Amino acid sequence: MEITRTIGEEAITIAVEGRLDTVTSSQLEQEVSEVFEEEKTNIVFDFASLEYISSAGLRVLLAAQKQVNALGTEMRIIGANDVVKEIFEITGFSDIMQIE
Amino acid sequence: MRRTFLLWLMVFMIIGFFATFAISFYVQTEQAEENGHTLIQLRIEDIKEQLDINSRNLEEIRIESDLNALAKVRALAKMIELNPDIIFFDEILEDIRVMLEVDEMHIADAQGILIGGTEASYLGYDMASAPQSAAFMPAISDKDFELVQDPMPKGINNEIFQYAGVARIDLPGIIQIGYRPEKLAETMEVADIRNLAAGFRVGKSGILMIADTDGTIVSIGNDQYLNKSLEEYGFAEGTFDNPDAESLLTLVNGEKTLFAYDDYEGYRIIGLLPADEMYLNRNSTIQLLVVFNLAMFTIIFVLIAVLVQKKVINGIYQVNDSLELITEGNLDEHVDVRTNLEFESLSDGINTMVAALKRTIKEVETKIDAELYYAKTIQLAALPTRILETGEHHRFNVKGTMFTAKEVGGDFYDFFVVDKNLLGVAIADVSGKGIPAAMFMMEAKSLIKHYALTKIPVREVFCKANRSLCENNRANMFVTAFLGVIDLETGVFSFCNAGHNPPLISRQGGDYTWLKSKAYLVLGGMEDIAYREQEIFFEPGDRLFLYTDGITEATNSAQELYSEDRLLQTINQLPRDIPIGDLMLSVKKDVDSFAAGAEQADDMTMLVLEYLGGKTWKSQEQ
Repeated sequence: MEITRTIGEEAITIAVEGRLDTVTSSQLEQEVSEVFEEEKTNIVFDFASLEYISSAGLRVLLAAQKQVNALGTEMRIIGANDVVKEIFEITGFSDIMQIE
Repeated sequence: MRRTFLLWLMVFMIIGFFATFAISFYVQTEQAEENGHTLIQLRIEDIKEQLDINSRNLEEIRIESDLNALAKVRALAKMIELNPDIIFFDEILEDIRVMLEVDEMHIADAQGILIGGTEASYLGYDMASAPQSAAFMPAISDKDFELVQDPMPKGINNEIFQYAGVARIDLPGIIQIGYRPEKLAETMEVADIRNLAAGFRVGKSGILMIADTDGTIVSIGNDQYLNKSLEEYGFAEGTFDNPDAESLLTLVNGEKTLFAYDDYEGYRIIGLLPADEMYLNRNSTIQLLVVFNLAMFTIIFVLIAVLVQKKVINGIYQVNDSLELITEGNLDEHVDVRTNLEFESLSDGINTMVAALKRTIKEVETKIDAELYYAKTIQLAALPTRILETGEHHRFNVKGTMFTAKEVGGDFYDFFVVDKNLLGVAIADVSGKGIPAAMFMMEAKSLIKHYALTKIPVREVFCKANRSLCENNRANMFVTAFLGVIDLETGVFSFCNAGHNPPLISRQGGDYTWLKSKAYLVLGGMEDIAYREQEIFFEPGDRLFLYTDGITEATNSAQELYSEDRLLQTINQLPRDIPIGDLMLSVKKDVDSFAAGAEQADDMTMLVLEYLGGKTWKSQEQ
């Protein structure tokens, strides 16, 4: 799995490549916590190259969503493939998250 | 480390180099000064010896010359005794003079008045009238008188001239001869101290000079300074006052010079050696030494650097590579650097440590395994196992099964009787694994069952359970859950799906299809989620198949997922009336054959509910 962080004008984009499972989720968690430590900002998860997401990955997204809600900023998930999108739908994440 | 080491090595080598240089310089300087001093002293000794030789020679020749002169003057006296008349014959006297090889002959009477001789102009001269000639006057009264005077310069040429005289034998009077003592004069010329210093040198450019007691230079190679004072030559005043300072390095005539002196027989012999010449040898030696040392120190430095690289650094890198492997988790890595005793000891030490680490890890693993085993046991014990029956009629079959992964997970299933007509079924999957997931699972399970038993609608069970699970959920854990409650009399099945995999349903022996269910957010995710329930109507013979993603996300070695499609296909290939326990086992078997030995990553949990009808009795083997 590979994580790329891009700082844009309106949001920080975190692009995730590969599989987001129990092992790799902690990396993403670390990355996200670093972003929140730095500044109060909008965050975009670019999942165009994400193949699979496990419950551990969902947990990181849920935590991020809660943080964003508390800060009053925005969080978006873009480019997710059908498999990943289906997981969001099954788990009800699509109801509480902005998934495009 | 290597850089630091080499840096320090270089610093020490440079210090060593300069120390060697300084010591060599000091020793060479001392040596040069001592050599210079010895050189001067030797020359001074040479001069002294030459002085001695000269004076000895002079004395010998003087004695010989004097004896010779006396013999001649005695012969003349005898001739006059034999024939006194010859005094008056100039020709005879001249013949005799030539024969005797003298320059002058004089004969004085009893009054010391010259009455005859070879020099006519001197006739009548009174010998008592001048001190030189008066020295012969005692001969008039003393028959044995003999005198050879010291040589002295005479005439306009300042030629060395000498007189010898005896008493007249026949009559009182004086017989005297005058002559040029050529051999003596030559010897005197050689012995003249003025000519001495010019013949001596100290080294190449050093000189010697001789001064008298007044400090006047009496002999020196350069005539310019002859008869000048030592101060005029360039010696600082008081240079010779210190009796200990017989050899000194000082400024002479503006030039740095080593000088030494010695007082000898009323003379002060001084030797000078310019410092430049004295240090010439030292400077060339030092130059050679610097080049040699530079080469040697460089060779030593390179040698040490190479040796350290070979004997130490390479070993360290090797050990480090092994340590890296060990750090990465390969505890079977064996460190084996045996280039020297220290590395052997280090290797052995590391190997022993790794072995101890391995043992400890094994012990801890065993302990953790035991604890996980207990956790699993507790978890499994919380799951219902007995077959439920309500009343005297057998109106349903329900069975759950859970195949746990190696690590304790967070799946559970549940079924329970709410009252005599209501049966609840649930399946859930907690995010993550391990003890935290297991604990969260226990909490979720008891909350759901607890609220369900209060007979509130399914939606409210989830709303309340969700709220409870959200409280203090710092770890952001959540659980996907499906809960359904069936009214066994009417067949009404009311359910809610909180983010769980959609169940499969088979209507009266037909193919399984996905139960259309609205997916609500997982429990524990967000507070205040408004869960809604859905209702369907169960006919006798309908079967509901619940499962967790451990089934659909089982992965083979090619990282392919088992998938919902494969599950649907498998389950539809099975006989419709297969006992529900066998149904689940068959699914598990298919998943296992798909995974083909790949380790099971997640719990696989399934639950099947079969509705048999309101009042009907149907025997069903489990």
